Amino acid sequence: MNDETANKPTLDRPATHAIDIANLQRGGERMDLAQEDIALKVENLRLWYGEKQALKGIDMDIPRTRVTAFIGPSGCGKSTLLRCFNRMNDLVDNVRIEGRILLDDRDIYDPALDVAELRRRVGMVFQKPNPFPKSIYENVAYGLRIQGINDRRILDEVVEKSLRRAALWDEVKDRLQDNALGLSGGQQQRLVIARAVAVEPEVLLLDEPASALDPISTLKIEELIYELKSNYTIVIVTHNMQQAARVSDYTAFMYMGELIEFGDTDGLFTNPKKKQTEDYITGRYG
Amino acid sequence: MSAFEPSLSYRRWRHLKDRLAKHGVAIGGVGVIVAITLIFFYLLLVVLPLFKPAEMEAGPSFSLTDAPQAIHYLTVDEYVEVGLAVDEAGRALFFSTADGHPLERIDIELPPGARVTALGKGDPAIEILALGLDNGQVVVVKPVYKISYPDDRRHITPTLEYPLGTDPIDLDEDGAPLRAVALQMGEEQATLAAVGESGQVFVANLAIEESFLGEGFSFEQENTVIEPDLDDIRYLLVSGPQTELYLANGDGNALLYDLRDPTEPELLQRLDLTPPGVRLTSLRFLTGSVSLMVGDSRGHIAQWFPVNERGRPRLVHVREFAEQDAAITDIAPEHGRRGFVAADAKGRLGVYYTTSERLLALAPVTDVPVAKVAVSPRADAALVLDAQGRLHVFRIHNEHPEISFKSLWGKVWYEGYSEPAHLWQSSAATTDFEPKFSLTPLALGTLKAAFYAMLVAVPLAIMGAIYTAYFMSPGLRRVVKPTIEIMEALPTVILGFLAGLWLAPYVEAHLPGIFASLLILPAGVLLFAYLWQRLPRTLRAHVPDGWEPLLLLPVLAALTALAMWLSYPMEELFFEGDMRNWLANDLGIPFDQRNAIVVGLAMGFAVIPTIFSITEDAIFQVPKHLTFGSLALGATPWQTLTRVVILTASPGIFSAVMIGLGRAVGETMIVLMATGNTPVMDWSPFQGMRTLSANIAVEMPESEVDSTHYRVLFLAALVLFLFTFAVNTAAEMVRQRLRKKYSSL
Repeated sequence: MNDETANKPTLDRPATHAIDIANLQRGGERMDLAQEDIALKVENLRLWYGEKQALKGIDMDIPRTRVTAFIGPSGCGKSTLLRCFNRMNDLVDNVRIEGRILLDDRDIYDPALDVAELRRRVGMVFQKPNPFPKSIYENVAYGLRIQGINDRRILDEVVEKSLRRAALWDEVKDRLQDNALGLSGGQQQRLVIARAVAVEPEVLLLDEPASALDPISTLKIEELIYELKSNYTIVIVTHNMQQAARVSDYTAFMYMGELIEFGDTDGLFTNPKKKQTEDYITGRYG
Repeated sequence: MSAFEPSLSYRRWRHLKDRLAKHGVAIGGVGVIVAITLIFFYLLLVVLPLFKPAEMEAGPSFSLTDAPQAIHYLTVDEYVEVGLAVDEAGRALFFSTADGHPLERIDIELPPGARVTALGKGDPAIEILALGLDNGQVVVVKPVYKISYPDDRRHITPTLEYPLGTDPIDLDEDGAPLRAVALQMGEEQATLAAVGESGQVFVANLAIEESFLGEGFSFEQENTVIEPDLDDIRYLLVSGPQTELYLANGDGNALLYDLRDPTEPELLQRLDLTPPGVRLTSLRFLTGSVSLMVGDSRGHIAQWFPVNERGRPRLVHVREFAEQDAAITDIAPEHGRRGFVAADAKGRLGVYYTTSERLLALAPVTDVPVAKVAVSPRADAALVLDAQGRLHVFRIHNEHPEISFKSLWGKVWYEGYSEPAHLWQSSAATTDFEPKFSLTPLALGTLKAAFYAMLVAVPLAIMGAIYTAYFMSPGLRRVVKPTIEIMEALPTVILGFLAGLWLAPYVEAHLPGIFASLLILPAGVLLFAYLWQRLPRTLRAHVPDGWEPLLLLPVLAALTALAMWLSYPMEELFFEGDMRNWLANDLGIPFDQRNAIVVGLAMGFAVIPTIFSITEDAIFQVPKHLTFGSLALGATPWQTLTRVVILTASPGIFSAVMIGLGRAVGETMIVLMATGNTPVMDWSPFQGMRTLSANIAVEMPESEVDSTHYRVLFLAALVLFLFTFAVNTAAEMVRQRLRKKYSSL
């Protein structure tokens, strides 16, 4: 598997619908980070779990309405970095964070900032599908209800819109009141994405969203990411380099808590500038 | 062959272990179910006889060989061996109940030439009779059965005694025949009453003085004459306490006279014992001589007894049995219980019990009307005299007539009470006492104790569990959780001891403080939390995150002390110096020292660890990815808790509460020691209660094996068993449903 990736990482894509679209979209034109509108700006971010330093001075700009993928071996800090964007790391004991992350020029670690509001603006989808033990409808409406929106008309509208965006509407429209736990894993993950989308976040963080799913479901999620890109800034952590290559516009390679290389996806996979990146994408480690 | 392939013997050994474990577990599981089923069936086995109807078994039937003339009086001894018939001529014939052959013939000492014209029976428990004579005099006799054991065999020698001496007592000083006579005799006084020929009623009050040497006695007699406004008086009865005199005629018209001052009888009530057109055919006292059993020509039997109304007795209709359809010819009360047998004109015999309102048996005994019936002192036989002079002996197996569904759960109108009530009173010091076996106050007491315990335990335990599982720092949680769980190991007898001997008087003395603490504690804690938030960050940083609750301990202690310290001033200020008296006098709320508040606190304390521990586990086990999912959508921790965590943990929280409830219902030692054990029907927090479990613990050692009381206690155990079974089954079903609905991945 890794050998194939090593030989022709960007060309050896399965001829699927999603990838065709990705090819069309990027075809010819190279992405240029310097010309992008920046959504999230990370400045010298350092993070410690107890005594152990997990992030060692990260500086990066996440472009708006693009898909940015974080790749790297296990334990490199890519998930930790992702969780910094909506301060989910606050929930971990003994965590210490220094540096700044600016969302629209505002430091999200400002003590005066409302964390709940931040998390509404920066949504997150986890590796394992985690629908609440409620109906499909209530799962999607949850984000609105906690904002105090209980108007049935608004909820109906948002639920439908979000489920359509998550490409789940046709599958569940007749059983919205059924328990969400009755859905398949892939459907659950799309439901969770619909739930995240329902509150209209600006940034969507995806933490290995397809790693627990079968290939068909993975494909659907990848199509979905492509669809969502036009409205949302998406940051995705993935172990699957093919997936990163397929869905992302920009890719960041991290290793041992450091950002090794960050650039447009085609460039990074076809022409890595750092030896460590090349070693990783050609399968020497990881 | 691979080097790691296990040897055959090892594989066999492994297989054997596996099978042993499988069967061992199966045996254990089935054994538990079998044990519980056996307990259930054992309880059922002990309880079932309570609901059996009576059985009547025909014995010998005979005519008396030396038949007296008209038999006035019929009775049978304790062992149903010797019967007694007294005739008009004053002859008493003792006969064998096996075949009717005469055993002893005694001529009652009457004045020469006198004939018996009327006969009055004393209280059913005392076999005594008054013979009214045609010369206006009365002779009182009592059959006595002397028992000896020659050759180790029981031998009964019947004889007659004269409790008021052999000298006849004058009632009608004019010497006219007496038409009816009544007698009631106590240790120190006796009352005789008789209807004279012209319808006047003579009442004689005898003050009896026994001589110190024991042998002789003397009495002073006081006679009074009443001229009642009632024709043709056929029934005349003096009540057991010798304070009421009842007169009735065959139409059921009756008069009630107050005999408290025997020299001046006062008419209290004029009433009809039967509906218009229905003849009164039999009128007898139940044992204790308080309740009148009224048999009528329709075959109905009504119970009437006096109820105190503004200090004066008033006869009320209590209940009616309409089971027989021919005129009741005679009623014979049991000697020791509130049961009776009634014979009718169709030759049938009914066995009844009053307070359980049961007809226990109804069977034909002869083809002709029954003339007289007598019940043996142990209520295990009836002696029936039919209209053709034949005697029939019937064995009656009637062990537990007092129990019916209604007497266990419904309101029963007992003698001496002004209205029907749920009463539990299984024993008393007096012999003519009627046991009252209503399980309702006990079931209510059980629920009441559990309710107050849950009122204390559920909020504290669940809130504590939520805080511990969801907000507390892991380090502190590792200390707090085992500490609370170890509270469960505290023997409840110690809790009960403390509750009864220390907490109860303390609560009584600090009542305003206890109530004030309900307000002061939460308000004080909130105030402290607010002030803590306002403290400078540098000062707060000294306390590690999640350890703040430790700071509350001294605050809570101080607040409690404050509430208790304020108790006396508040009592002075608002409650005239004594809240207990204020409750009782101003609000009319009775106050027991051992009350539901004390039980709620003590049993709540015992139940908290159970509920806390299970709830805490349930909340802690809510998957983190659900919590994170909610937080990541912008929910606050509180929203996450209320909308996701508690919902997901709800099956666990529900079982925690139910297991706690089960424990509170079955708990014995605390309620035994801290409730006062008064079986009252009352939800007041200031009153005690008696629970099913405590009742069993208190009364089982003193109940006679296989008695009604014993079986009712087993019934209480069965009720408790079924109650916990029902609660647990319902809880499990609800829990399964909840779990299906809210099970997480």
